[in-house]
Amino acid sequence: MSEIPMNTGEMQVSGRRLSDLVKLVARHRVIAVLAFMSVFPFIMPYEALAVNILIYGLFALGFNMVFGYMGVLSFGHAAFFGMGSYGTGIAIVHFGAPWPVAIGLGVVVAGITAMIMGAMAIRSRGIYFAMVTLALAQCVYYLIYQMSDWSGGEDGLTGVTIGEIDLGVVSFNLLDPTAKYYFMFTFVALAVFIFSRILASPFGAVLEAIRENENRARACGYNVQLTKWITFVISGLFCGLAGALNAIHLSVVPIESLHYHLSGQAVMMALLGGMGTFFGPFVGAMAFLLLEDVITLITIHWQLFLGITFMIFVLFFPKGIWGSILHWVSR
Amino acid sequence: MSEDTKNKTVSKGVSRRSLLKGVAAGGALAATGPFLFNIAQAAETSIKIGFPVPLTGPYGSEAKEQAACAQMAVDEFNAAGGLNGRMAKLLVRDDKLKSGEAATRTLELIEKDGADFIAGSLSASVQLAVNSVAKERGKIYVSISQSDAINEAKHFSKYTFHEAMNPHMTAGAVGRYVFPKKGKRVAFLIADYAYGHEMARGFKAAGEAFGIEVVAEVQHPLATKDFSTFLPRIQAARPDVLCLCNFGYDQMNSLKQSTNFGMKEQMQMVAPALLYNQRRAGGAEAYDGVIGGTNFYWGLEDTIASAKTFTDSYRKANNGKPPSDYGAYGYSGVGGLLKAVTAAGTTETDAVITAMENLKYDMYKGEQYYRKCDHQSVQSVYIIESKSEAKMANEYDVFDLVGVDKANEGVLRSCSDLGFG
Repeated sequence: MSEIPMNTGEMQVSGRRLSDLVKLVARHRVIAVLAFMSVFPFIMPYEALAVNILIYGLFALGFNMVFGYMGVLSFGHAAFFGMGSYGTGIAIVHFGAPWPVAIGLGVVVAGITAMIMGAMAIRSRGIYFAMVTLALAQCVYYLIYQMSDWSGGEDGLTGVTIGEIDLGVVSFNLLDPTAKYYFMFTFVALAVFIFSRILASPFGAVLEAIRENENRARACGYNVQLTKWITFVISGLFCGLAGALNAIHLSVVPIESLHYHLSGQAVMMALLGGMGTFFGPFVGAMAFLLLEDVITLITIHWQLFLGITFMIFVLFFPKGIWGSILHWVSR
Repeated sequence: MSEDTKNKTVSKGVSRRSLLKGVAAGGALAATGPFLFNIAQAAETSIKIGFPVPLTGPYGSEAKEQAACAQMAVDEFNAAGGLNGRMAKLLVRDDKLKSGEAATRTLELIEKDGADFIAGSLSASVQLAVNSVAKERGKIYVSISQSDAINEAKHFSKYTFHEAMNPHMTAGAVGRYVFPKKGKRVAFLIADYAYGHEMARGFKAAGEAFGIEVVAEVQHPLATKDFSTFLPRIQAARPDVLCLCNFGYDQMNSLKQSTNFGMKEQMQMVAPALLYNQRRAGGAEAYDGVIGGTNFYWGLEDTIASAKTFTDSYRKANNGKPPSDYGAYGYSGVGGLLKAVTAAGTTETDAVITAMENLKYDMYKGEQYYRKCDHQSVQSVYIIESKSEAKMANEYDVFDLVGVDKANEGVLRSCSDLGFG
């Protein structure tokens, strides 16, 4: 008799502990993300997949600034990822640039692309914005496709090799998968920190104000158009960094990295993980890539199982994986 | 009040403790994770051959056949005792016909699975990506898909081997057969991507010796369904020969529609890469009378002993179905590699490279060897003509072997053209 209430009591305690843990993670989001990612390669099947998740997580994170925090759906983010990749790749392959310059150049090229695309697209809204960004991204795709002397065209750009990195204090070789992971991790960690600071700033509050009610934000005196454009460019910079890292990771820049399919993947990852949450895009990228990787090894009908999983999530967990966890905990 | 604050601190402390526990659990998992993998790897010292091919996507059926044929080569090697008892193992991975995926899979094969060699791929761009990853890590890569670019000095490394024919030699062989017989007014229908242009370039290079005149050159986008806007321009130019520089479904659709346009009565249709599976899917009528080139057709079994052995063992495993041309690449690519391993007596990379450079092998179509400068497999190109329905003895009997361009380095682009020395 007396055992039953004790049990429920214990369960409540452990439930509270769990919710406290999640709240703690949500409060110290940057540290939580970084702590998780630093042990991450050891729990993944192999390092290259862990690096992929890192890179696509950053890509989805950057995308989520426009999609989740500002509430605008863009279908053109592959252009930033791809231009980041090609910027870095071309700098290394054709000009023999040192890696910090190459990565910086990739990010800048992506930023410039975002400035131009943003200036042209930002006046449209809703589905029109999605279509305009998609069309502009396709223009970038064909531009790079045709510049085959520089970009390799359909064959892609090959030979983006860095190899040995000497920082004076430490030197390591990117051919070592673990070293490569932590090299990428450093960049992603820095990006996540900056991202979090941007969201926590007054500027971040304006973003959410625009998402909730654009007219009201305008009535409050904010320059909505300019804010949207700046957000688009910042988001492009993050996606460009993801692209630049991807070029170094794979040592090739495939033409697919500009394809609209990749823009769709960013939407998928953000939705799967939970749009508008900080950790969501990473969770989404991890779930997406891990599922795809594991199911592909088991069956060639992986698309079927992946599709069913997505349908289940869209139907029963519209807040996404991380969004649903936060929701349950805060209940 | 004070009770409240106390509670708060307690709850905070507890959650921090659980966080620590979580980290500890994560650490434990992290420690056991690689350990488990290590046990799995230590148990076997087999020779591992990574084989990324596009199992899903438009070339799925070819890729599955490549994997099955490569497995045959591995089974034969193992049945013969392996390398002093060390057995070979084929690790097939799906590259989804995407360069990025292929590069990741190659990293997985080398870093996690510890593959000794890489073979495979079925697309010009994908093989360049796999090559880039493999050569950086000093692993031998045997490509089994057509490409001109992989022979060029900027993509080549001592680890790179190209078992498949390249568009230059295929189109050249077909051109040398067709132009003297069928006429000098030539039109091109070119799929607008690297492979299409490489084939057209091969035809033109071969045609120079015969003084061909290019009367029309029409480009179409990849994966075109409707060719009715392109074909009249070719008809108007009245060529003797039409070279179809496209592949797969593009080839099938353009042939079907040009048959309906009555173009076959006006000109000779030529397809440099005339594929067995595509011909069977497209039907006898569309392909009737088309001349093309191939690395292999099962009809070779009548004249070549190694082809007979290959087709017999393939038929035995596949309910009497003969192997296809691209499937055979899988067999010869992996088979040739394992022959070199046997010759070298080791899986040590440099020794195997030397063995491959000196290897003369005859897996399925007559003797082949790798040219020293670009590691291109020098091999015979067979000229085939598609049969009409009435002449077919059975459903597999689709081509007549009408000619052969014997293995000869002279038909390849010269080493200096490719940028070597």
